[in-house]
Amino acid sequence: MKITDIFSYAFSAIKLRKLRAGLTTLGVVIGIAAIVALLSITQGLQVAIATQLKKGFATDTLIVTARSESGFKLLVNDTKTIEEIGGENVTISLAVILRTGYIKSGGQTSRVTIVGVDYAKYAEIYSSTFTAEEGAIPQNPENSSVVVGKRVSDPWSNGTLFCKTGDNVEIIWTSRPFKNETYMGNVVAVLKEIGGFSLGGPSDTSIYIPIKQAQTFFKTEECEMIVVKLRNDDRATIESAAKAIREAFGGQVTVISSTAILNIISSVFSTIQLFLAGIAAISLLVAGIGIMNIMIVSMMERTREIGILKALGMKNRQVLLIFLSEAAIIGLLGAVIGVGAGWGIAQVTVRVFSTGVGFGGAMRQTNQAALANGITISPVLTPSVLSGAIAFGLIVSLLFGLYPAWRASKLKPVEALRYE
Amino acid sequence: MTTIIETLNLRKVYMLGKVPVEALRGVNLKVEEGEFLSVLGPSGSGKSTLLNLIGALDKPTDGKIFIEGVDVTTLKDGQLADLRRRIGFVFQFFNLIPRFTARQNVELPMAIAGLGKEERRRHAEELLKVVGLADRMNHKPAELSGGEQQRVAIARALANNPRFLLMDEPTGNIDSKNAMEIIQLVKRLNQEKGITIIMVTHDQRLASEANRTVHMLDGLIVDETVNKP
Repeated sequence: MKITDIFSYAFSAIKLRKLRAGLTTLGVVIGIAAIVALLSITQGLQVAIATQLKKGFATDTLIVTARSESGFKLLVNDTKTIEEIGGENVTISLAVILRTGYIKSGGQTSRVTIVGVDYAKYAEIYSSTFTAEEGAIPQNPENSSVVVGKRVSDPWSNGTLFCKTGDNVEIIWTSRPFKNETYMGNVVAVLKEIGGFSLGGPSDTSIYIPIKQAQTFFKTEECEMIVVKLRNDDRATIESAAKAIREAFGGQVTVISSTAILNIISSVFSTIQLFLAGIAAISLLVAGIGIMNIMIVSMMERTREIGILKALGMKNRQVLLIFLSEAAIIGLLGAVIGVGAGWGIAQVTVRVFSTGVGFGGAMRQTNQAALANGITISPVLTPSVLSGAIAFGLIVSLLFGLYPAWRASKLKPVEALRYE
Repeated sequence: MTTIIETLNLRKVYMLGKVPVEALRGVNLKVEEGEFLSVLGPSGSGKSTLLNLIGALDKPTDGKIFIEGVDVTTLKDGQLADLRRRIGFVFQFFNLIPRFTARQNVELPMAIAGLGKEERRRHAEELLKVVGLADRMNHKPAELSGGEQQRVAIARALANNPRFLLMDEPTGNIDSKNAMEIIQLVKRLNQEKGITIIMVTHDQRLASEANRTVHMLDGLIVDETVNKP
C-alpha cells in the first residue's frame, strides 16, 4: 500500500469523527501553545535583559567595593595601588564617590544620585553610555561642571525640561550633623538616554561631578567603589586580576566581574526556562494520554473494519501505519496550531504586562541609581523552539498512538470480523 | 483439471469460555480449478469455519491446507496477508466500509496491493459494470439495497483477480428475488470467466445451483452430490 494511500485512509477515518478528533487535537494545541508561549516570553525577557545589561555592563570591567561587614573603606588613592598590582592586565582604574542629594533648578528640587568621577576615564570605560546628547563632556572640567542624566534633564520624557545645558544649578547635600551643604554648578552636558540599569556604569537618573570637586564637597578621601578596566574580557584576565586585587586588600574587598554576573543571570534564566517548559510539557503528556484514550476507543469501534482490511490482504504493519498516521495527523495539526496559538498568547501577554514592568531597584546594592523606565520585552521564537515544539508534539502523539496501533495490528482477522 | 484447494484431515477446536468445541473433526476436501462448489449444512456444522481456514483468516488446530500445492498452515502472518490478496471473500453481512462509496470500496483491495490511482479507478469501474452497478458507483453502502451492496462486495472480491472466491452465506441477508439474481451473477462469473467458487449456505435450493455440493454435519463432510446442470 502506498504511503499516500495510507495517509488518505487515516484521514478519512479522522474526518468521520470530527468533533472527537477536534477535541483530541485541542489537547495537543494547548500543550504546545503553553510550551511555545512560555519559552518565547522567557527568551524575549532574557534577550531584553541581556541587551539592557550589556549597555550598562562593560564586560571588560571589574567593580571593587569594600566588604560592608569589615568596616574597611576604599580610598580614592587606592586606584594607584590597583594599577600597580594589576600590572599590564589593568588599563584604567577609576574611583567613584556616590551620595544621594538634591539638585535645584529654577525653584524646583529633584532628588538624585550624585556621582563623583574622573570624566575622561569614565568616558573611556563606558564609551557607549557616558556620551553627551547636548553640550560636551570636558576632558579637564572646571570644579563647577555638572553632567546630568537624561531623566534628570527631562524627567517626564515630554520635553518639559528640569534643566538644560548651560543652566546654573544648585547641588545640595546634607552632611553631619545635618547641615545642608550647597554649591552652584553649571550643566555642561546632558547624557544620551541609556534606558537600562547598570553595574558601576552611568544611569539616566544620576548627575556627575568631577572627582576633585566631590572630594572637596563631601569632605572625604574615601570612595564607594573602584571601577577597573581590563586589557580584555578573557576569563583568564578577569580571574587573575580579580584574585590579585582581592589578595592585595587582604580579602576586605569584593570584586565583581560584569561578565560573571551576566553569566549567572543567563544560567538562572536557562534554569527558569527549563522549569517552565517542563511544566508545560506535562500538559502535553496529558494530551498524549487523551490521544491514546481516543485511539483505543477508535480501535475498538473499528475492530470489524480492521478485520475487513485484513481479509482484503492488509498486513499487520500496514494496519499499524494507518493508526500511527491518525495519531501523527492529530499531533502535527495540533502542534502547528499550537505554535501559532502560543505565539499569539505570548504577544498578548507581553502587551498586557510590559506596561507595568520596571526593574528599578534590581541592582540597588551598587548604590548606583537604577533605571526609571521599564524594559520592553518582545517574545522570541527561535527556529529551534519552533521545530522542537512541532517535533515534540508529533513524537508525543506517535508515542501514545503506538500502543493502540500495535493492538489494532495484532487483531486476528476472524475474531475481528466476528466483532459486533 | 488441476486441484486448486486441498485439505487433509483438517481439525479446528475453539474454546467457548472454558469449554472446548470441536468445529471441524477431520475434513478432507478437494476443489478443482473452475469448479463451483457449495458447502451445505445446518448452522454449527462447521462450514463457515472451513471457509475461514481455506481463506487464511484463521489457523487450524491440526491438519493441512494446500492452496495451489503450498501448505498454508506453515506460512507466517505477512505471507498469509499476501495470500489473502489472491482470494476473494464475500460475506453474509457484506462488510463494506460505510464511509466509502461503492467505487472506493472496490478500489480498496487494489490500494492495499499497491496499485496506482488511475488503474484502480478504471478497474473498479469495469468490475462495477460487470456486477450491474454502473450507475450506482458513487453511492455509499447506506444508499444501496442489500442486493446492491452484495454486488459491490462481489466486485470488491474480484478486484485483485483472485484465484478463487469464497462466499459465506452470500444471500443470507437478501430477499429471495435478489438472492436468485446474486446466484445467477455468481454462476455467470463461474461459467463465463472460469472463476473457482466455494459457497457456504444452509439453503438446499441455492446449494443445488452449484456443480457439486458437499454436505457437512457436526464438523465432518458426510455426503457429496453432483448437481445436474
